[in-house]
Amino acid sequence: MTRTQRLFALAALVLLAIVPFFVTDSYTRHVFIVAFIYATVAVNWDLSLGLGGLFNFGHVAFFGIGVYTAAILTTALDVSPWIAIPAGGITAAIAALIIALPVAKLQGIYVVLVTFAFGQLCLQIVLSQGDLTGGAEGLVRLPYLTIGDYKFIRDFKFAYYYLALAILAVSVIVLLLIAQSPFGKSLRAVRDNPDYAASRGISVARQRVLVLVASSVMTGVVGGFYAIYLRVASPEVFGFSIATLVVSMVLIGGAGSIIGPAIAALALTFATEAMAGVRGMEEARFIIVAVAMIVVLQVAPGGVVDIFGRLLGSGRKT
Amino acid sequence: MSRLLDVSGIHAGYGTVPVLHGIDIHLDKGEAVGLFGPNGHGKSTLLRTISGLLRPSRGTVTFDGQDITTAKPSAIVAAGLIHAQQSNTLFGDMGVEETLELSAFSPRARDGWKDRLAEVHTLFPRLAERRRQKAKTLSGGERQMLSIGCALMCAPRLLILDEPTLGLSPRLKGELCAAIAEIAKKGVPLIVVEQDVEFLLTLTDRLYLVEQGEVAREIDGSNAPDHQEIMDMYFGEGAH
Amino acid sequence: MDGVLIPTLVSGLLLGSLYALMASGLSLIWTTLGVFNFAHGALMTLGAYIAWTVTEQLGLGLAAGFVAGIGAAVIAGVVIELLLVRPFYGSRNMMLITVMTTLAASTIIERGISVIWGPRLKQLPRVIDGQVNILGAPVSAHETLIIVLAPAVLLALWWYTGRTRSGRSLRAVGQNQDSAALIGIDVPRTFSLAFGLSAALAGVTGVLLGSIRFITPGLGADPLVNAMIVVIFGGLGSLGATAGAAYVIGMMEALLVLWLGLYWTPSVLFVALIAVLVFRPNGLFGKVSA
Repeated sequence: MTRTQRLFALAALVLLAIVPFFVTDSYTRHVFIVAFIYATVAVNWDLSLGLGGLFNFGHVAFFGIGVYTAAILTTALDVSPWIAIPAGGITAAIAALIIALPVAKLQGIYVVLVTFAFGQLCLQIVLSQGDLTGGAEGLVRLPYLTIGDYKFIRDFKFAYYYLALAILAVSVIVLLLIAQSPFGKSLRAVRDNPDYAASRGISVARQRVLVLVASSVMTGVVGGFYAIYLRVASPEVFGFSIATLVVSMVLIGGAGSIIGPAIAALALTFATEAMAGVRGMEEARFIIVAVAMIVVLQVAPGGVVDIFGRLLGSGRKT
Repeated sequence: MSRLLDVSGIHAGYGTVPVLHGIDIHLDKGEAVGLFGPNGHGKSTLLRTISGLLRPSRGTVTFDGQDITTAKPSAIVAAGLIHAQQSNTLFGDMGVEETLELSAFSPRARDGWKDRLAEVHTLFPRLAERRRQKAKTLSGGERQMLSIGCALMCAPRLLILDEPTLGLSPRLKGELCAAIAEIAKKGVPLIVVEQDVEFLLTLTDRLYLVEQGEVAREIDGSNAPDHQEIMDMYFGEGAH
Repeated sequence: MDGVLIPTLVSGLLLGSLYALMASGLSLIWTTLGVFNFAHGALMTLGAYIAWTVTEQLGLGLAAGFVAGIGAAVIAGVVIELLLVRPFYGSRNMMLITVMTTLAASTIIERGISVIWGPRLKQLPRVIDGQVNILGAPVSAHETLIIVLAPAVLLALWWYTGRTRSGRSLRAVGQNQDSAALIGIDVPRTFSLAFGLSAALAGVTGVLLGSIRFITPGLGADPLVNAMIVVIFGGLGSLGATAGAAYVIGMMEALLVLWLGLYWTPSVLFVALIAVLVFRPNGLFGKVSA
């Protein structure tokens, strides 16, 4: 993370903070909020996938666990949404610990398979435990988020906008700090050169546990927020589609760059939302995102951000 | 005598690291040629380029009048140019007999594969004894025998052997050298890479010294070196 | 107990057969190329839809439908290999990149199916109607056919990879690409062959499943996940271990449903999976070296 990148992130944050003063309609703000949510999932995924080089394909399950934690707590136990949302982070972290148990020791493709199967089994459990989760129908009519008498939905989702932005900002800042810390450096070193770990006596297993748990907390929190914001929890959050969408955000943005996936999440959310408005594109938009991801992998394996980076870099050198 | 193999001006390497800097070697029909030189100077890279595993950045390879510079390895094998790699482990989980049978893969090699299998068994009786054993359970010497046996099953019109006696005990090495001499006697054109220059001198008509990715010296009957000269070539003048 | 035991065993064998067909296709590609095909389930779904279209819409009969369905899966499989896997051979992260590209392919196929065929449920007719009597318990004839057919297909596959020239070439390429090329095997063509063959297995599974379950765009997702669990248990290395694990998992699932009900079966399976992996990171039957 260079100085320019940090300045850029700061500028982007300021810019996004003043957006609601210009964008006053509820729909556009809604798209921004959804984009912030996806961006939070994507940047946290980038910690394990990009920085950690851990082939974790169950990341979206952490999000889904946050969604269902908040939904079950508020509907079955009447817990306040203000507690239910952070509780999503806690259950996601517990799930991360459980999945880290086998993953810490596994190699290569088996990491992919186990984490992926984990996400799918979460889906099966949600479907089979219908009494609690609502099964295939999901849970609806979750409570609103309020402070005193003020409902967050009012003033064209003004308050939701800032809460979503805050969750994203906290995630990005924490992740940038992690990336710069000695831990982040050792992560990258092990990712780029597995022999390094052995020669320096670094425990890869311990690294993996930490990475999985660290990446799960904010993902679970934003999952809880997502459930409360939309007031529904549906099993779709564990499906292939969201996983493919978010992984394409990470890859198109550039794995390992944190900022890149955040930008890609914003761009892709707006693009897919725009396409959703076009007749006949409801399904086809997912195809377009998938094709875009394949093209990016072929022409720019480092992600789109990498292309700009290289252009800037070569510009400076010559 | 006509040209069987003509390698001219080959430049090749791995990624951005160049290894070969314009190598020229050639071989006439009915000839046997040896390659020697220090390790890491491009002998194996040259062989990989000839057999199509590696694309050269410049230069051409012609086999029996046909340009094979950009041909696929399978097409090159089908034409009869066979390369047995250095320390070849082949297919670890396959049986000896199965591997030999499979090696007669190209249409040309399939004709009369049973006769050739019998020849291989005569040449290396040990492969016949171990026909059911998996390749990964074989000893180093047996692996070399299997590797050469497979190359013979491909019905070679030119056989390239890369250090066939590497790391073997003197007794096994002698056994393999005798087998290679036997193959040469049958008239199979050979290119052999070896560290043992004296063996090469008895086996082959000409020798190339490959150094720094180039042919540093060509040796034939008229300028055969003595033992001291060979040592000098390897270790530099007056190194001992 | 007798009244439920036979149907449970039959159901376990049926699940095991389907998982074995799916998982052996995954294992075939993995052992040949070191690629895990996440589009395998989608290929299965595609096979079922094409078979349905040819059988029901075009009215050409079930046999033509099966041939067309399996053929379509094979073509799609080879196209995936050519467009989404081949460009990445030799790249540093090939395994990971191909996970992403095949995952993308599965999205493209599934969503494409939704666009073309719409959300309405479809079903293929059964190959054989009626029931057969197994040890006094009535069992659907179609399901019995699947139970008999799956081991036959697996045996044929085993014979093919062990005894035929092209089958052996698949194994040779999987074990040592350079050596395979140097005995004259066309390595890229062998990759396409592996993908085509694996897709054929997916297609067979799809057309067989399409007459037991309703055909939806997500038809292949569940079996793919179960095949993945099979592969985790059995390791990806050998056909025998994969097939063995498939039947073990199928039986386990059927027995768990009998004892615990549908409600808890997924959770128990998952806990068992984690437990196996903690103690045997390379799977139940997997070899110690990865």
